[in-house]
Amino acid sequence: MSSHADGKGRLWGLLAEYETVPAVLEAAARVRDAGYRHFDVHTPIPIHGLDEAMGIRVSRLPWLVAGCGAAGASAGLLLQWWTNAVDYPFIISAKPYFGLPAAIPVTFELTVLLAAIGAFVGMLVANGLPQFFHPLFRVERFRRASNDRFFISIEARDPRFDPRTTRTLLESSGGKPVLEVEG
Amino acid sequence: MRQGLDRSMGEGSRGSGGLSLGKRYWRSLEELAASPAFRERIQQEFPELAEELVAPATRRSILKVMAASLALAGLTACRWPKERIMPFAYRPEGYVPGVPQHFATALELGGAALGVLVKSYDGRPIKVEGNPAHPSSLGAATAWAQAAVLEMYDPERSTTLVRREGGQRRVPTWDDFLALATEHAASLQASGGAGFAVLAEATSSPTVLALKNRLEEQFPRGLWVEYEPVSRDFERTGLAQAFGGPVRPRLHLERAQVIVGLESDLLFGHPEGLRHARHWGAARRAEGGTMPRMYAAEALLTVTGAAADHRLALPAGHMGALLRQLAHELARAGLALPAGWGAEAFAPGSPEARFAALAAGDLLQARPHGLVVVGPAQPPEVHALAAGLNEALGAVGTTVSYLPDPEPGRRSHLDGIARLAAALAEGTVQALWILGGNPAWDAPAELDFARLLAACPQTVHLSLYDNETSQLCRWHLPRAHPLESWGDARAWDGTVSVVQPLIEPLYGGRTLAEVLAALLGEAALSAHDLTRRTFAQQWGGGDEGWRRALSDGVVANSAWAPLRPRLNPEAVEAAARGLELPPAGGQELVLHPDACLHDGRFANNGWLQELPDPITTLTWDNAATLSPEDAQNHKVRHGDVVRLSAGGRSVEAPVLVVPGQARGVVGLALGFGRQAGGRVAAGAGINAYPLRTAAAPWAVRGVHVERTGRRRLLATAQDHHVIDTLGMAERGRRVGSLIREASLAAYRANPEFARNTAWAKARPLWKEIEFKGEHQWGMAIDLSACIGCGACTIACQAENNIPVVGRKQVANGREMHWIRVDRYFAGDPADPEVRFQPMPCQHCENAPCESVCPVAATVHSEEGLNQMVYNRCVGTRYCSNNCPYKVRRFNFFNNFKGVSPTTRMAFNPEVTVRGRGVMEKCTFCIQRIETARIAAKNERRPLRDGDIVPACAQTCPTRAIVFGDLKDPDSEVSRLHRHPRAYGILEELFTRPRTLYLAKLTNPAAPAGEGEASS
Amino acid sequence: MSAVPLDLDNTLERPGERAPLVLGKSDLASITEQVCEIAERPRPSREWWLAFGTSASLTLVLFAMLGYLFWTGLGVWGINQPVAWGFAIINFVFWVGIGHAGTLISAILFLFRQKWRTSINRFAEAMTIFAVICAGLFPAIHVGRPWFEYWLAPLPNQMQMWPNFRSPLLWDVFAVSTYFTVSLMFWYMGMVPDLATLRDRARSKIRQIAYGIAALGWRGSGRHWHRYERAYLLLAALATPLVLSVHSVVSFDFAVSQLPGWHATIFPPYFVAGAIFSGFAMVLTLLIPVRRIFRLESLITPRHLDNMAKIILATGSMVGYSYIIEFFIAWYSGNPYESFTFLNRALGPYAWSYWIMFTCNAIIPQLLWFKRFRQTPGLLLVISIFVNIGMWFERFVIVVTSLSRDFLPSSWGVYWPTWVDLLTFLGSFGLFFTLFLLFLRFLPIVAMAEVKSVVPAAGLELGPHRGHGQYWGEIPHQHDEENER
Repeated sequence: MSSHADGKGRLWGLLAEYETVPAVLEAAARVRDAGYRHFDVHTPIPIHGLDEAMGIRVSRLPWLVAGCGAAGASAGLLLQWWTNAVDYPFIISAKPYFGLPAAIPVTFELTVLLAAIGAFVGMLVANGLPQFFHPLFRVERFRRASNDRFFISIEARDPRFDPRTTRTLLESSGGKPVLEVEG
Repeated sequence: MRQGLDRSMGEGSRGSGGLSLGKRYWRSLEELAASPAFRERIQQEFPELAEELVAPATRRSILKVMAASLALAGLTACRWPKERIMPFAYRPEGYVPGVPQHFATALELGGAALGVLVKSYDGRPIKVEGNPAHPSSLGAATAWAQAAVLEMYDPERSTTLVRREGGQRRVPTWDDFLALATEHAASLQASGGAGFAVLAEATSSPTVLALKNRLEEQFPRGLWVEYEPVSRDFERTGLAQAFGGPVRPRLHLERAQVIVGLESDLLFGHPEGLRHARHWGAARRAEGGTMPRMYAAEALLTVTGAAADHRLALPAGHMGALLRQLAHELARAGLALPAGWGAEAFAPGSPEARFAALAAGDLLQARPHGLVVVGPAQPPEVHALAAGLNEALGAVGTTVSYLPDPEPGRRSHLDGIARLAAALAEGTVQALWILGGNPAWDAPAELDFARLLAACPQTVHLSLYDNETSQLCRWHLPRAHPLESWGDARAWDGTVSVVQPLIEPLYGGRTLAEVLAALLGEAALSAHDLTRRTFAQQWGGGDEGWRRALSDGVVANSAWAPLRPRLNPEAVEAAARGLELPPAGGQELVLHPDACLHDGRFANNGWLQELPDPITTLTWDNAATLSPEDAQNHKVRHGDVVRLSAGGRSVEAPVLVVPGQARGVVGLALGFGRQAGGRVAAGAGINAYPLRTAAAPWAVRGVHVERTGRRRLLATAQDHHVIDTLGMAERGRRVGSLIREASLAAYRANPEFARNTAWAKARPLWKEIEFKGEHQWGMAIDLSACIGCGACTIACQAENNIPVVGRKQVANGREMHWIRVDRYFAGDPADPEVRFQPMPCQHCENAPCESVCPVAATVHSEEGLNQMVYNRCVGTRYCSNNCPYKVRRFNFFNNFKGVSPTTRMAFNPEVTVRGRGVMEKCTFCIQRIETARIAAKNERRPLRDGDIVPACAQTCPTRAIVFGDLKDPDSEVSRLHRHPRAYGILEELFTRPRTLYLAKLTNPAAPAGEGEASS
Repeated sequence: MSAVPLDLDNTLERPGERAPLVLGKSDLASITEQVCEIAERPRPSREWWLAFGTSASLTLVLFAMLGYLFWTGLGVWGINQPVAWGFAIINFVFWVGIGHAGTLISAILFLFRQKWRTSINRFAEAMTIFAVICAGLFPAIHVGRPWFEYWLAPLPNQMQMWPNFRSPLLWDVFAVSTYFTVSLMFWYMGMVPDLATLRDRARSKIRQIAYGIAALGWRGSGRHWHRYERAYLLLAALATPLVLSVHSVVSFDFAVSQLPGWHATIFPPYFVAGAIFSGFAMVLTLLIPVRRIFRLESLITPRHLDNMAKIILATGSMVGYSYIIEFFIAWYSGNPYESFTFLNRALGPYAWSYWIMFTCNAIIPQLLWFKRFRQTPGLLLVISIFVNIGMWFERFVIVVTSLSRDFLPSSWGVYWPTWVDLLTFLGSFGLFFTLFLLFLRFLPIVAMAEVKSVVPAAGLELGPHRGHGQYWGEIPHQHDEENER
């Protein structure tokens, strides 16, 4: 079969396909150890240990979420205090204009809301999603990446990338077939 | 500010009646180009338009129209503008646009006047209140009097003359009628009035009386009879028997210590009910440590019976016997009485006997401050005996005085109508003029008056509505409403009031006097001229006196001087001997005027239809009331329709079970089931008149009750459903703490009995905001004084533009009254105690409604008012759920959609008309608070206690409701809040209500043996 | 690939042996096939059309009722004085309660590493979203002047006024909207990889574009998966307290008022338990037929039903306990109003509704002590339907009996729904099922990526590699040996 993906244009990188989780994990670790930076693993399911195998730094998402949560909490308290006690106070059942107990529910909800939005949007932004086109989508076989196959892609822009050695690295790690992806 | 309304002022105030001017324009057009042909054509093309074209107009009005006629391009169009603002040509003296004026006038019911003050905005009367200067009002007003405003603006009042000939309905003009009148008068001159009869409703008007006398002089062979379905003629006849001539009794409850009433609803169903209630309420507060005691024996539960300390439920037919029993007991206790007066009618130890014994003991002790009162529905003999007893007890002069009868020669109403019916039957009457009233509908059934009327060749009916009678008459004349017309009337005690118009007759009606005058060839004279003439003749005083009379609402010293008639003991004895116990067994039907609709004349008045009956809280309906036992015996439940038949006639009515009603008695209110006279009246209740005969107008013996198997949903304002035993029991448990009461003796022993110490120590969980306002408004309601008459509810409805929602919505629990009168029964269902509790918004300081509103549509003012912000309300109804007093009312629909433009003129311009989807409730009449505040500011003085009187407090006959500033320690309301009897209901919820209730005091006699009177 | 026999009883707990969560042929490809096939059918079955037609027309009825309501006013409902809240609030609480199962299953069970959740969480979350939509509808339409509803939001307006943050209703606005937003994000986020699968399998251009957009260009990148996992975990951690808070806040609507029968401190836990109870019941009511129709028995196994049944049993017992303890408190508090309210519930005019509630919620679920009832889908379905009915009546009892007889006997009343009330309620079911059927038709109804990660075929169970939801441990090292060689 053709060892070469269809399509014109300059080479974007190489794509290797694997059958099983252990195989792709092992290959990923190799690629990592070979010093590649601009490579990625594509799997239909989240594989734990993969991030270590790829040497991914732990995400800072939690901090963002914490920040959003804090913002939500203070916004909630400020909103209730300012609107009901400062800007337009009115006598309600002879109760204090601002009372913490009554302010808890709304504060809590706003905390959770902002934090959750932070987590969701933060994740998408950090992942550069939505990204409706990607060179890999050109590859017919890659469709199985969301089904039952595991892939490793190494980008041509990686300083250590060399069409031949990189290909041998992937093949030797059990990648079959290894395809060239046009950019 | 009140002021006289003389002729020119009259013009002024009429001029501003926008709608009336709309009418006037067409009248003037009619005058400008009035060819019969033109009218005919119009009538064919636009019948309703023709109705607008009929009344003549004055030269002045035409000029006004000319001035404003630029806008009348629409003349050629087929439709005429509904309303038109007309500028004043000049500003009448003493009139500031937008500032309400109060005019004193009088309203008459059944021949007794009630003096009122009418508040008028820019020529639109909007509120009727009692005239403090008037002896029968003392500042209070009855429900029907307050609802007169709505009646005047009723778009269904008859707007045109109607002529019915051979099935055709034509619309003549007043000129046509005047032509008829003069021609008729001429023919009568010849015959001396033979074949001519007048049937008038009872009136005390000196003007009408004078005209009547002249009529009788001119037409000696004519027949003049008066008829009222509800009258006090039995009393009149009875006293005539006792004293040898008719006299009018006047009661003085302010001096009474022991009152024994038989079927006497003297606090509510009496022409002077308001005055009685005022004195009663004042005395029952027991501030002086003494209070009167009332014994009431009655078949149906009435307001008076509810207020009594001892109540005996007894069929109406037994009252005579009971009175004899009383006489017997009095004699036994040492009162010198002619032998035949008393008789032992009841077995010793029977409730009746015990009641009589107890009452007799007290009456003797209280001499001369005892009083025996008998109701108008009791036969004359009972009245005669009662008069005898009062004489013997020395009550005459202290608790009862006698006044001359205005028309000693008058035939009694029942005789009169019977005589007329006979004449009609013989055919000796060719012309019958019916002035007011509705005899075709409410005449005694056996006379079959409707048929006789239809057969009479010439019949004329003057009436507010084109009603059952009008439709059988050849001519119907629209009558001017008292609030639209000049006239005069006398109170029960004879005090004369001048009736002055608040507005130009909306529908071009004429008064009774004017119609009579027409017959006497005085068509040229207006009601105003006629009234002034009478006034000049009888009271003189010239313009000065006239103006004074207008501004005071009463003519000074015009009351009758009391007489000292001599009692004829033999006559009394003769009467008394006739009073026997009726044979046992058999159901008795007790007919009674409805608490709201009276004899039915108010049936088209939505306010009165929706005003709950004080006892049954029934609205929009009358019902066959039964005692619980009887209901069981007849196997009927609340709402089952039964057929009541007597004397071959029968009616079908839904059953309403009323505790405390005498066994063997069916009660049925008159005034419902109208066939004509408005859409409001139609379909409300059933007509009881078919069961009413001249022989037995009130109590019908031997009535047959049978189930029909059908049911009717009754719209009661309370107990929207039959309550299960569980609920009954709980209600019984709660009433005690909601309505706290004690006997006078217990109160003397422990004045603080009502105080709820358990919750005094309650502390808030939060730091309460203190109210910084310079005034702190509060209210106090004295349950000892309140008799549950419901006048406050109507006053509030009129003042605050409260919508009428109709029978279906009331049945669904959606009535809108801002102040309701809660009614509770306590004790034994057979002989219950009835308790009333007026329930407005309590204006809680810790108002539960406020904290739950998400949009802060209900908030507290610095002056402690719980304010409802209509335009902020989104209608979550959470506030209503959280209100423990359930005083909030929600607009489930746009309740004003159907309201006619005419009726809209009755709105109080100072109160917002609430839209759909908005919550509303009592505001403590904040508009009155602000008005008084502004007035005080303008006069550069602080607000004084009593400056502000909410509508409910203003009209309360017993002055049970007091409003004022709690921050001012000397204010009446502060004094009452400090009163030992003061308590707040549901204090345990820590709502801190600003409305406190004063616990109820009762004054039952100590059980026989150590029985001693209260004083 | 080894296939687990379909008839294997995977509900037995054998120590040391992990029971298979998925039965039948379960390699990655076949799972994909099984799930995607449902959404990829060229045309839906006649049954689907029938169901869809019915629910769609009911939805139309709903909108007709709303039109009538807005045109005429709230009077078309049965509400009155004193019962100013009726069907609208009952239905609101009912639907919000149902809306609890989804997020509970996805979030709380996720944190507790209950792997069996993976086959049902997508389904349950979808149900949550739709239930909350129905719930949100009712408060919106039950106010007197809906066109001014925006006043409940803290927006500057012409009155320069702000909402009253002391009102529980306002807390409700925040709670429900937050819950909806978070649940929606949670649901969608979980769906992204599966949408990618559908995209990659898509034949037609439209499907490709539609799913392509929905999948946001997901390409299963390891770096993406890493953040995705983090975000999912965080959302789960945030959603967990949210689940508990929503119904607590809803219960404040009642508990913060002072109405006897409403003003009770037990309400928050009692409501939350009830919500989970009703939510799981609704999941079962929907899941059991769907599982059958779409042949998902291998993914949604008796073990799943069994577990859910156990949760229903537990929460149902809590609810039953609350019913009983309420009576105790009413008596023990010595508050006469409270005592009467509860007597009135059990013996008053509305006793029938109380006993329907008690039977359906407290008694019938006790059958689930028996394994047979937990594992026979038919019986389970019947029980779950009873629970749904019972939970609706619970809200009826709370709202109506308490309001109809409060403090002043003079203002006691009765409440009966009108035909508008009934049709509106029915219509809300129409809306719910319409949305649900669309979900069944076009979206992956089982979380494939998650299920795949729990099947042996994924090989995650072997050796040091871990499955979904396992974050502990360090780097695997066998490749180092490779390098030395």
